[in-house]
Amino acid sequence: MRTHVSSILAGIVGVLLLSPSPRAHHGAASLYDVNKETTIKVTITEFTWTNPHVEVGIASVEDKSQRWLLELGSPPNIVNRGWTAKSLKPGDVVTVTFNPGLRGMRIGRLLKVVLPDGKELTA
Amino acid sequence: MSAHVVILAIAGLVAAGCAGGSASPAPAPAPRPDISGTWHNPLGGGNRLRPAEGDIPFTPWGAEQMKAARPTFTNDFRETTDPAVLYADPNGYPRIMMHPMKFKLVQTDDYVYQLFEYNQNWRQIAVDQAHAPDDPPTWYGNAVGKWDGDTLVVDTTGFKASTWLDSRGLPHTDQLRLIERFRRDGDTLAVEVTFDDPGAFTKPWTAQLTFERVEDGMMIETIFTISDELRFRERFLGIPSPIPIRR
Repeated sequence: MRTHVSSILAGIVGVLLLSPSPRAHHGAASLYDVNKETTIKVTITEFTWTNPHVEVGIASVEDKSQRWLLELGSPPNIVNRGWTAKSLKPGDVVTVTFNPGLRGMRIGRLLKVVLPDGKELTA
Repeated sequence: MSAHVVILAIAGLVAAGCAGGSASPAPAPAPRPDISGTWHNPLGGGNRLRPAEGDIPFTPWGAEQMKAARPTFTNDFRETTDPAVLYADPNGYPRIMMHPMKFKLVQTDDYVYQLFEYNQNWRQIAVDQAHAPDDPPTWYGNAVGKWDGDTLVVDTTGFKASTWLDSRGLPHTDQLRLIERFRRDGDTLAVEVTFDDPGAFTKPWTAQLTFERVEDGMMIETIFTISDELRFRERFLGIPSPIPIRR
Protein backbone atom coordinates (compact mmCIF):
# COMPACT_ATOMS: atom_id res chain seq x y z
CA MET A 1 0.00 0.00 0.00
CA ARG A 2 2.81 2.32 0.90
CA THR A 3 4.41 1.74 -2.49
CA HIS A 4 1.08 2.34 -4.16
CA VAL A 5 0.62 5.66 -2.38
CA SER A 6 4.20 6.63 -3.23
CA SER A 7 3.55 5.89 -6.89
CA ILE A 8 0.46 8.04 -6.86
CA LEU A 9 2.35 10.85 -5.16
CA ALA A 10 5.20 10.52 -7.65
CA GLY A 11 2.65 10.72 -10.44
CA ILE A 12 1.11 13.85 -8.99
CA VAL A 13 4.54 15.43 -8.57
CA GLY A 14 5.35 14.47 -12.16
CA VAL A 15 2.20 16.12 -13.45
CA LEU A 16 2.97 19.23 -11.44
CA LEU A 17 6.47 19.37 -12.85
CA LEU A 18 5.15 19.03 -16.37
CA SER A 19 2.47 21.63 -15.81
CA PRO A 20 3.04 25.15 -17.06
CA SER A 21 4.82 27.32 -14.56
CA PRO A 22 2.59 29.92 -12.96
CA ARG A 23 5.57 32.25 -13.22
CA ALA A 24 5.10 34.00 -16.49
CA HIS A 25 8.56 35.44 -16.95
CA HIS A 26 10.28 32.17 -17.68
CA GLY A 27 9.79 28.47 -17.28
CA ALA A 28 11.37 26.96 -14.18
CA ALA A 29 13.24 24.33 -16.18
CA SER A 30 15.03 26.98 -18.22
CA LEU A 31 17.12 28.04 -15.23
CA TYR A 32 16.66 25.57 -12.40
CA ASP A 33 17.01 21.87 -11.70
CA VAL A 34 13.33 21.18 -11.03
CA ASN A 35 14.11 17.59 -10.08
CA LYS A 36 16.31 18.63 -7.18
CA GLU A 37 15.29 20.31 -3.95
CA THR A 38 17.70 21.80 -1.47
CA THR A 39 16.54 22.45 2.09
CA ILE A 40 18.82 24.51 4.29
CA LYS A 41 18.76 26.78 7.32
CA VAL A 42 19.76 30.25 6.24
CA THR A 43 20.00 33.88 7.17
CA ILE A 44 18.08 36.23 4.90
CA THR A 45 20.46 38.77 3.34
CA GLU A 46 17.91 40.62 1.22
CA PHE A 47 14.22 40.58 0.42
CA THR A 48 13.44 42.75 -2.59
CA TRP A 49 9.83 43.15 -3.67
CA THR A 50 10.28 43.71 -7.40
CA ASN A 51 9.47 42.56 -10.91
CA PRO A 52 9.64 40.19 -12.63
CA HIS A 53 10.33 38.16 -9.47
CA VAL A 54 10.66 38.99 -5.82
CA GLU A 55 14.31 38.37 -4.93
CA VAL A 56 15.49 36.61 -1.80
CA GLY A 57 19.16 36.57 -0.85
CA ILE A 58 20.24 33.81 1.53
CA ALA A 59 23.42 32.73 3.31
CA SER A 60 23.84 29.34 4.93
CA VAL A 61 23.85 29.50 8.73
CA GLU A 62 26.42 26.73 8.83
CA ASP A 63 28.75 28.28 6.28
CA LYS A 64 28.16 31.96 5.59
CA SER A 65 30.22 31.78 2.41
CA GLN A 66 27.47 29.64 0.88
CA ARG A 67 25.13 32.19 -0.66
CA TRP A 68 22.34 32.06 -3.22
CA LEU A 69 19.95 34.48 -4.84
CA LEU A 70 16.48 32.96 -4.99
CA GLU A 71 13.50 34.05 -6.99
CA LEU A 72 9.89 34.06 -5.94
CA GLY A 73 6.88 34.71 -8.17
CA SER A 74 5.64 38.15 -9.14
CA PRO A 75 3.97 40.16 -6.38
CA PRO A 76 0.36 39.74 -7.63
CA ASN A 77 0.78 35.99 -7.76
CA ILE A 78 2.35 35.47 -4.37
CA VAL A 79 0.14 37.84 -2.36
CA ASN A 80 -2.59 35.27 -2.92
CA ARG A 81 -0.45 32.81 -0.99
CA GLY A 82 0.02 35.07 2.00
CA TRP A 83 3.22 36.88 1.07
CA THR A 84 3.66 40.57 1.72
CA ALA A 85 6.54 42.96 1.14
CA LYS A 86 7.39 42.49 4.83
CA SER A 87 7.25 38.70 5.02
CA LEU A 88 11.04 38.52 5.34
CA LYS A 89 13.79 40.95 6.22
CA PRO A 90 17.58 40.80 6.33
CA GLY A 91 18.77 38.98 9.43
CA ASP A 92 15.80 36.60 9.68
CA VAL A 93 16.87 33.00 10.25
CA VAL A 94 14.59 30.62 8.40
CA THR A 95 14.59 27.27 6.64
CA VAL A 96 14.21 27.44 2.88
CA THR A 97 13.58 24.82 0.22
CA PHE A 98 14.50 25.64 -3.35
CA ASN A 99 15.35 24.22 -6.77
CA PRO A 100 19.03 25.07 -7.30
CA GLY A 101 20.27 26.73 -10.47
CA LEU A 102 21.45 24.73 -13.44
CA ARG A 103 25.07 24.85 -14.59
CA GLY A 104 26.25 25.51 -11.05
CA MET A 105 24.75 29.00 -10.91
CA ARG A 106 24.29 30.29 -7.37
CA ILE A 107 20.63 30.99 -7.93
CA GLY A 108 17.48 29.14 -7.05
CA ARG A 109 13.73 28.94 -7.30
CA LEU A 110 12.25 29.31 -3.83
CA LEU A 111 9.62 26.71 -3.04
CA LYS A 112 9.01 27.08 0.69
CA VAL A 113 10.07 29.07 3.71
CA VAL A 114 9.59 27.91 7.28
CA LEU A 115 9.60 30.89 9.63
CA PRO A 116 10.96 30.72 13.19
CA ASP A 117 7.41 30.38 14.55
CA GLY A 118 6.80 27.35 12.32
CA LYS A 119 4.58 29.21 9.88
CA GLU A 120 5.16 28.18 6.28
CA LEU A 121 5.04 30.34 3.18
CA THR A 122 4.99 28.61 -0.16
CA ALA A 123 5.86 30.03 -3.55
CA MET B 1 -35.22 91.38 -36.70
CA SER B 2 -31.80 90.83 -35.31
CA ALA B 3 -30.03 87.47 -35.41
CA HIS B 4 -30.33 87.25 -31.63
CA VAL B 5 -34.10 87.48 -31.76
CA VAL B 6 -34.30 84.75 -34.43
CA ILE B 7 -32.15 82.41 -32.36
CA LEU B 8 -34.21 83.05 -29.25
CA ALA B 9 -37.43 82.42 -31.18
CA ILE B 10 -36.14 79.09 -32.53
CA ALA B 11 -34.92 78.08 -29.10
CA GLY B 12 -38.35 78.85 -27.70
CA LEU B 13 -40.08 76.71 -30.30
CA VAL B 14 -37.72 73.81 -29.62
CA ALA B 15 -38.30 74.12 -25.89
CA ALA B 16 -42.06 74.19 -26.39
CA GLY B 17 -41.88 71.09 -28.55
CA CYS B 18 -39.94 69.22 -25.94
CA ALA B 19 -42.25 70.26 -23.15
CA GLY B 20 -45.34 69.30 -25.10
CA GLY B 21 -44.65 65.58 -24.75
CA SER B 22 -45.95 64.84 -28.22
CA ALA B 23 -42.82 62.88 -29.24
CA SER B 24 -42.95 59.16 -28.50
CA PRO B 25 -40.27 58.04 -26.04
CA ALA B 26 -37.26 56.23 -27.49
CA PRO B 27 -37.50 52.48 -27.01
CA ALA B 28 -35.44 51.21 -24.11
CA PRO B 29 -32.29 49.44 -25.26
CA ALA B 30 -32.36 45.67 -25.00
CA PRO B 31 -30.60 44.48 -21.86
CA ARG B 32 -27.12 43.22 -22.61
CA PRO B 33 -25.69 40.06 -21.14
CA ASP B 34 -23.36 40.67 -18.23
CA ILE B 35 -19.84 39.38 -18.78
CA SER B 36 -18.30 41.88 -16.41
CA GLY B 37 -16.22 40.72 -13.51
CA THR B 38 -12.78 39.45 -12.62
CA TRP B 39 -11.49 36.41 -14.47
CA HIS B 40 -8.36 34.31 -14.63
CA ASN B 41 -6.82 31.46 -16.56
CA PRO B 42 -7.29 28.33 -14.42
CA LEU B 43 -4.33 26.69 -16.15
CA GLY B 44 -2.03 29.26 -14.60
CA GLY B 45 -0.59 30.57 -17.83
CA GLY B 46 1.94 29.03 -20.12
CA ASN B 47 -0.66 26.99 -21.97
CA ARG B 48 -0.42 26.95 -25.73
CA LEU B 49 -3.05 27.80 -28.27
CA ARG B 50 -4.18 24.87 -30.33
CA PRO B 51 -7.25 23.77 -32.27
CA ALA B 52 -9.74 21.50 -30.54
CA GLU B 53 -8.77 18.82 -33.05
CA GLY B 54 -5.85 18.36 -35.39
CA ASP B 55 -2.81 20.52 -35.83
CA ILE B 56 -2.36 24.20 -36.45
CA PRO B 57 -2.45 24.66 -40.27
CA PHE B 58 0.80 26.58 -40.62
CA THR B 59 1.95 28.10 -43.88
CA PRO B 60 5.64 27.35 -44.57
CA TRP B 61 6.48 30.79 -43.17
CA GLY B 62 4.40 30.13 -40.05
CA ALA B 63 6.03 26.75 -39.49
CA GLU B 64 9.47 28.26 -39.88
CA GLN B 65 8.72 31.00 -37.36
CA MET B 66 7.29 28.52 -34.87
CA LYS B 67 10.36 26.32 -35.17
CA ALA B 68 12.71 29.25 -34.71
CA ALA B 69 10.92 30.60 -31.63
CA ARG B 70 12.74 30.02 -28.36
CA PRO B 71 10.17 30.41 -25.60
CA THR B 72 11.37 30.68 -22.04
CA PHE B 73 9.52 27.54 -21.02
CA THR B 74 11.51 25.04 -22.99
CA ASN B 75 14.89 26.59 -23.62
CA ASP B 76 17.85 28.01 -21.85
CA PHE B 77 16.48 31.34 -20.71
CA ARG B 78 19.57 33.14 -21.99
CA GLU B 79 18.69 32.20 -25.54
CA THR B 80 15.04 33.17 -25.51
CA THR B 81 13.57 35.06 -28.47
CA ASP B 82 10.37 35.91 -26.60
CA PRO B 83 9.75 39.60 -27.41
CA ALA B 84 7.73 40.12 -24.23
CA VAL B 85 10.81 39.16 -22.21
CA LEU B 86 13.72 40.19 -24.41
CA TYR B 87 12.36 43.65 -25.18
CA ALA B 88 9.69 43.92 -22.47
CA ASP B 89 7.19 44.36 -25.31
CA PRO B 90 3.50 44.20 -24.48
CA ASN B 91 2.34 40.59 -24.46
CA GLY B 92 -0.06 41.06 -27.35
CA TYR B 93 -3.32 39.23 -27.79
CA PRO B 94 -4.74 36.77 -26.88
CA ARG B 95 -1.54 35.91 -25.03
CA ILE B 96 -2.11 38.47 -22.29
CA MET B 97 -5.54 37.06 -21.54
CA MET B 98 -3.87 33.68 -20.85
CA HIS B 99 -1.36 35.24 -18.44
CA PRO B 100 -1.59 33.85 -14.89
CA MET B 101 -2.54 37.24 -13.52
CA LYS B 102 -6.19 38.19 -13.53
CA PHE B 103 -8.13 40.49 -15.82
CA LYS B 104 -11.36 42.41 -15.46
CA LEU B 105 -14.11 42.95 -17.98
CA VAL B 106 -15.88 46.28 -17.66
CA GLN B 107 -18.93 47.08 -19.77
CA THR B 108 -20.19 50.53 -20.64
CA ASP B 109 -22.88 51.50 -23.14
CA ASP B 110 -20.44 51.70 -26.03
CA TYR B 111 -17.40 49.68 -25.03
CA VAL B 112 -16.23 46.54 -23.33
CA TYR B 113 -12.87 47.02 -21.66
CA GLN B 114 -10.44 44.24 -20.84
CA LEU B 115 -8.20 45.41 -17.99
CA PHE B 116 -5.20 43.16 -17.58
CA GLU B 117 -3.38 43.17 -14.27
CA TYR B 118 -0.11 42.25 -15.94
CA ASN B 119 1.66 45.36 -17.18
CA GLN B 120 -1.49 47.43 -16.63
CA ASN B 121 -2.35 46.82 -20.27
CA TRP B 122 -5.92 47.23 -21.46
CA ARG B 123 -7.89 46.58 -24.61
CA GLN B 124 -11.08 48.22 -25.78
CA ILE B 125 -13.86 46.66 -27.80
CA ALA B 126 -16.14 49.18 -29.49
CA VAL B 127 -19.68 47.82 -29.37
CA ASP B 128 -21.96 48.32 -32.38
CA GLN B 129 -19.35 50.42 -34.12
CA ALA B 130 -17.41 49.98 -37.34
CA HIS B 131 -13.71 49.32 -37.73
CA ALA B 132 -11.58 52.40 -38.19
CA PRO B 133 -9.91 51.27 -41.43
CA ASP B 134 -7.07 53.78 -41.47
CA ASP B 135 -5.83 53.14 -37.96
CA PRO B 136 -2.20 52.04 -37.80
CA PRO B 137 -1.42 48.57 -36.44
CA THR B 138 -1.33 48.40 -32.65
CA TRP B 139 -0.31 45.90 -29.97
CA TYR B 140 -3.92 45.02 -29.17
CA GLY B 141 -5.60 45.69 -32.51
CA ASN B 142 -8.70 47.48 -33.61
CA ALA B 143 -11.61 45.61 -32.02
CA VAL B 144 -15.33 45.98 -32.63
CA GLY B 145 -18.04 43.85 -31.08
CA LYS B 146 -21.69 42.94 -31.46
CA TRP B 147 -24.00 41.02 -29.20
CA ASP B 148 -25.40 37.85 -30.74
CA GLY B 149 -27.89 36.70 -28.14
CA ASP B 150 -25.85 35.85 -25.05
CA THR B 151 -22.56 36.01 -26.93
CA LEU B 152 -20.30 38.99 -27.58
CA VAL B 153 -18.76 38.53 -31.02
CA VAL B 154 -15.56 40.54 -31.41
CA ASP B 155 -13.84 41.17 -34.72
CA THR B 156 -10.29 42.51 -34.47
CA THR B 157 -7.81 43.56 -37.15
CA GLY B 158 -4.79 45.84 -37.19
CA PHE B 159 -2.35 43.93 -35.03
CA LYS B 160 1.36 44.65 -35.02
CA ALA B 161 3.06 41.56 -36.36
CA SER B 162 5.83 41.37 -33.78
CA THR B 163 3.92 39.83 -30.87
CA TRP B 164 3.49 36.14 -30.13
CA LEU B 165 -0.06 34.81 -29.94
CA ASP B 166 0.89 32.64 -26.96
CA SER B 167 3.90 32.23 -24.71
CA ARG B 168 5.13 29.29 -26.81
CA GLY B 169 5.95 31.47 -29.78
CA LEU B 170 2.88 31.08 -31.99
CA PRO B 171 3.49 33.59 -34.82
CA HIS B 172 1.23 35.83 -36.88
CA THR B 173 1.48 38.54 -39.49
CA ASP B 174 -0.19 41.93 -39.80
CA GLN B 175 -2.92 40.20 -41.83
CA LEU B 176 -4.23 38.59 -38.66
CA ARG B 177 -7.95 38.84 -38.09
CA LEU B 178 -9.37 37.48 -34.86
CA ILE B 179 -12.99 36.57 -34.37
CA GLU B 180 -13.80 35.95 -30.72
CA ARG B 181 -17.00 34.74 -29.15
CA PHE B 182 -17.30 35.58 -25.44
CA ARG B 183 -20.01 33.72 -23.57
CA ARG B 184 -20.57 33.58 -19.86
CA ASP B 185 -22.04 30.60 -18.10
CA GLY B 186 -22.24 31.44 -14.41
CA ASP B 187 -18.70 31.62 -13.08
CA THR B 188 -17.15 30.42 -16.33
CA LEU B 189 -16.26 32.57 -19.31
CA ALA B 190 -15.82 30.68 -22.56
CA VAL B 191 -13.91 32.46 -25.29
CA GLU B 192 -13.78 30.85 -28.71
CA VAL B 193 -11.00 32.44 -30.75
CA THR B 194 -10.73 31.99 -34.53
CA PHE B 195 -7.38 32.87 -36.10
CA ASP B 196 -7.58 33.99 -39.71
CA ASP B 197 -4.16 34.95 -41.06
CA PRO B 198 -3.24 33.86 -44.60
CA GLY B 199 0.37 34.81 -43.89
CA ALA B 200 0.77 32.36 -41.01
CA PHE B 201 -2.04 29.81 -41.48
CA THR B 202 -3.35 28.04 -44.58
CA LYS B 203 -6.92 28.27 -43.27
CA PRO B 204 -8.74 29.75 -40.28
CA TRP B 205 -8.67 27.65 -37.12
CA THR B 206 -10.30 27.94 -33.72
CA ALA B 207 -9.10 27.54 -30.14
CA GLN B 208 -11.31 27.30 -27.08
CA LEU B 209 -10.24 29.21 -23.98
CA THR B 210 -11.93 28.98 -20.61
CA PHE B 211 -11.61 31.41 -17.73
CA GLU B 212 -12.88 31.21 -14.18
CA ARG B 213 -14.45 34.00 -12.23
CA VAL B 214 -12.39 34.99 -9.21
CA GLU B 215 -13.11 37.23 -6.29
CA ASP B 216 -12.96 40.85 -7.25
CA GLY B 217 -10.11 42.76 -5.75
CA MET B 218 -7.39 45.29 -6.21
CA MET B 219 -5.31 45.05 -9.32
CA ILE B 220 -1.71 45.12 -8.17
CA GLU B 221 0.64 47.27 -10.23
CA THR B 222 3.03 45.00 -12.08
CA ILE B 223 4.68 46.88 -14.87
CA PHE B 224 7.52 44.93 -16.41
CA THR B 225 10.22 47.22 -17.79
CA ILE B 226 13.48 46.92 -19.67
CA SER B 227 15.24 47.75 -16.40
CA ASP B 228 13.48 44.82 -14.72
CA GLU B 229 14.72 42.46 -17.39
CA LEU B 230 18.26 43.85 -17.34
CA ARG B 231 18.28 43.61 -13.55
CA PHE B 232 17.11 40.01 -13.66
CA ARG B 233 19.74 39.11 -16.26
CA GLU B 234 22.48 40.81 -14.33
CA ARG B 235 21.59 39.32 -10.96
CA PHE B 236 20.42 35.84 -11.95
CA LEU B 237 22.38 35.17 -15.12
CA GLY B 238 25.49 37.24 -14.50
CA ILE B 239 25.01 39.20 -17.71
CA PRO B 240 26.13 42.80 -17.08
CA SER B 241 23.62 45.46 -18.03
CA PRO B 242 24.78 47.70 -20.90
CA ILE B 243 22.98 50.68 -19.34
CA PRO B 244 22.42 51.80 -15.76
CA ILE B 245 19.52 49.92 -14.18
CA ARG B 246 16.73 52.09 -12.81
CA ARG B 247 14.45 51.03 -9.97
